[in-house]
Amino acid sequence: MNIIEIKGLKKDYPLGDTIVPALRGVDLAVAEGDFMSIIGPSGSGKTTLLNVIGCIDFATSGSVKVGDREITALSDRQITDIRLNKIGFIFQTFNLIPVLDVIENIEFPLLLMKKSAAEARKRADKLIEEVGLKEYAAHRPAELSGGQRQRVAIARALVTGPDMVLADEPTANLDSVTGASILELMRRMNELEKTTFIFSTHDANVLKYARRIVRIKDGLIEPEPA
Amino acid sequence: MLLIKLSLRNLLRQKRRNILLGSAMTIGVAILVTANSFSHGISDIMFNKVMRYVTGHVAIRFNERGGVMREIFRDRARVLAAIKDEPQIEKIDEGIAMFARAIGNGRSDNIILIGADTKKGQTEKEKRELEESFRLTEGSWKDVDDLSVENPVIITEDKARYLNVKKNDIVRVRFRNMFGQDQAARLTIVGIMKIDNIFMQGVVFLELTRAKELLGYRPYETGSLSLTIKNPQKNAFAVAGRIHERLKPGTAVIYASAAGRTGRRPAAVLGFKSDDQSKKKIAGLLKLASGSFDKAFKKDGVIVPAGLARALGVAAGDAVNIRYDRKFEKAPREAVLRVSAVCASGEYPGQDVILMNDAGFYDLYYQELPAAPAAGPYSAVSADWAGLVAPEWVLLKRTFNTEEYTRKYQEIARNKWKGTTLDVSTMYETASDILKLESVLNIITISAVLVLFFIILLGVVNTLRMTIRERTREIGTVRAIGMQRADVRNMFILETFFLTLFSAAVGVVTGFIVMRLLSLITFHPVDNPLGMLLVNSHLYFLPTFTGIAGSVFLIIAIAVITAWFPARRAANLSPAQALGHFG
Repeated sequence: MNIIEIKGLKKDYPLGDTIVPALRGVDLAVAEGDFMSIIGPSGSGKTTLLNVIGCIDFATSGSVKVGDREITALSDRQITDIRLNKIGFIFQTFNLIPVLDVIENIEFPLLLMKKSAAEARKRADKLIEEVGLKEYAAHRPAELSGGQRQRVAIARALVTGPDMVLADEPTANLDSVTGASILELMRRMNELEKTTFIFSTHDANVLKYARRIVRIKDGLIEPEPA
Repeated sequence: MLLIKLSLRNLLRQKRRNILLGSAMTIGVAILVTANSFSHGISDIMFNKVMRYVTGHVAIRFNERGGVMREIFRDRARVLAAIKDEPQIEKIDEGIAMFARAIGNGRSDNIILIGADTKKGQTEKEKRELEESFRLTEGSWKDVDDLSVENPVIITEDKARYLNVKKNDIVRVRFRNMFGQDQAARLTIVGIMKIDNIFMQGVVFLELTRAKELLGYRPYETGSLSLTIKNPQKNAFAVAGRIHERLKPGTAVIYASAAGRTGRRPAAVLGFKSDDQSKKKIAGLLKLASGSFDKAFKKDGVIVPAGLARALGVAAGDAVNIRYDRKFEKAPREAVLRVSAVCASGEYPGQDVILMNDAGFYDLYYQELPAAPAAGPYSAVSADWAGLVAPEWVLLKRTFNTEEYTRKYQEIARNKWKGTTLDVSTMYETASDILKLESVLNIITISAVLVLFFIILLGVVNTLRMTIRERTREIGTVRAIGMQRADVRNMFILETFFLTLFSAAVGVVTGFIVMRLLSLITFHPVDNPLGMLLVNSHLYFLPTFTGIAGSVFLIIAIAVITAWFPARRAANLSPAQALGHFG
């Protein structure tokens, strides 16, 4: 079963008087439980595609289905609810909330879902153990290394039990060893939680971790080898 | 809870910036609280420390025949009966005061001689207030009750110095009593007091009974009454209204035994109103049998109905002797009335009613109030006569602010009053200008503080804009994770709210410290109007919960409303754009 179905997706950005096309008619389907990488050079449209899939940006035209819902016709409140309940995000620059400690960062989405503090803490405790940061629970993000921060981000993305996790260049700010460990962790979580992972990268070295590779160039997806 | 936790923690991120902005808010609130407490203090001084002693919270004033100085009501018990059942009344004071010329040792000056009821039981609070307002440097309040001393008085320190007198010296005073007669008396100084209030500089206290005797009051008569009531701001108008209702006058009647040349029989003597309009109506109602209306309408004019004239054997020009029981004295009062006109009984207000011009009638009536018999020959006048006969007193209409009150007294001054005017007023109308003064002071303060608040407002906007700019990626992150727009907006508003709340709380504490420090300074404003702003030579502040809550609410409202717009802008940022923001 496909978790994402995209047809004829176009996304244009206005730049002064001109229109810059970022996506020029993308068709894509992602199966549930997949571990997929979107690869392409800078400016190819990877982030834009992930943003549209993640419901944080809107398509100029085309159809985007997340689960069985067509997201192009939803209100901001409904789309925010989809992001909260169905999607987890991992960012290149980690994007943790600096005023919250590690455990609070992880349980943050659960509190947005109005889960009780006890329930949120229980789930966050499980995740923090899985990403190996139990002893850092009371630390603020500024007190962690890049790799540790990204582990926190992975735990935060998974804490709500989302249908999919989107990771935009999750290893770009990490050294190769740490990057590899992060990808190993994502892979392990994919197997453990059965969560669909889609991550973008321009680094060919990380492709070996992906089960499926989608190449994007100039806003168009290149045909996948049979 | 999540939003509150985030807001409070975010506040600590930019400590210096927030402390600077918070300090400005603190100063604004401190100024507002201090100024508000000061203006409220002035009102309190005027209402509760000056006006309360001068007029009371509710005042009942009497002016016999419209005489400004003739503040007398002849039936003290009657007016006390109208107020005795009011549960809100804490204290009733008789306002006995007179202007006098005091002659000391080689110098003379004007004084206000005030009757002080030293025999009345005082509560601890009243004693404390009295001691605070009038600090005795020599003698004691008990000394004014000393019967062995001739008119013992307590005088102000300044006045004693000016008159060159000290304790146990004699001061001679010249004054005019209530009936316009010049009088002289000797006062013995038994105490000297120190006061700050400029309005009290010329005050000399004498025991109430002696003051009343000097002014010519009899024991059953009273001067104007001042009522102290519980929670005056809430109750004064209602209490005054009820007392006013109970003091509605009836018709003034002297139940007498009238004797003429040939007979004696019971009669009722009524006064008729002698203004031109009433006289015209009366002339239309009566049918003259003998004598003339010209004579009857003069001050000593007397009209007798034909039936009574026949029974008494009198005609126009004859004398009628009347004798009546007095209300407060044992021996009956006798008077001779000269008949000016005899009228047919038909349209007359009563069969055995003698009508007198109200000017002459009130002379007789007020001098010796008549006793009311169990059953008299007179019950009530007909509707035609209802507005034409003299009432027991003239009850002035109630007013509700200084403007109405002043207008009422201007109208009164234009009339020639024959009867006693009775006025019930509250200090909120006799001195509503003071309340206006408080409002004006508050407006001036708020105007000044609004300038400060405008600067704060710019600070709030600027700080939030900087904060939002710095935290744009963070906004993008929380939006991407699933925070709703309204929550993002509320998070920023809550930050401003908490900053303002903490600053306002510190502002209130600072305001109290400032007030405490200012009230430690001692002022010596001799003969200076500033004296009225002082209590015991110190500035007086009266902070109120409403004033403080109002100030805090004002600044929080301004800050939150100001924060709403940049906060909404932050909430409306597209998550993708916000996440892509650098800077």
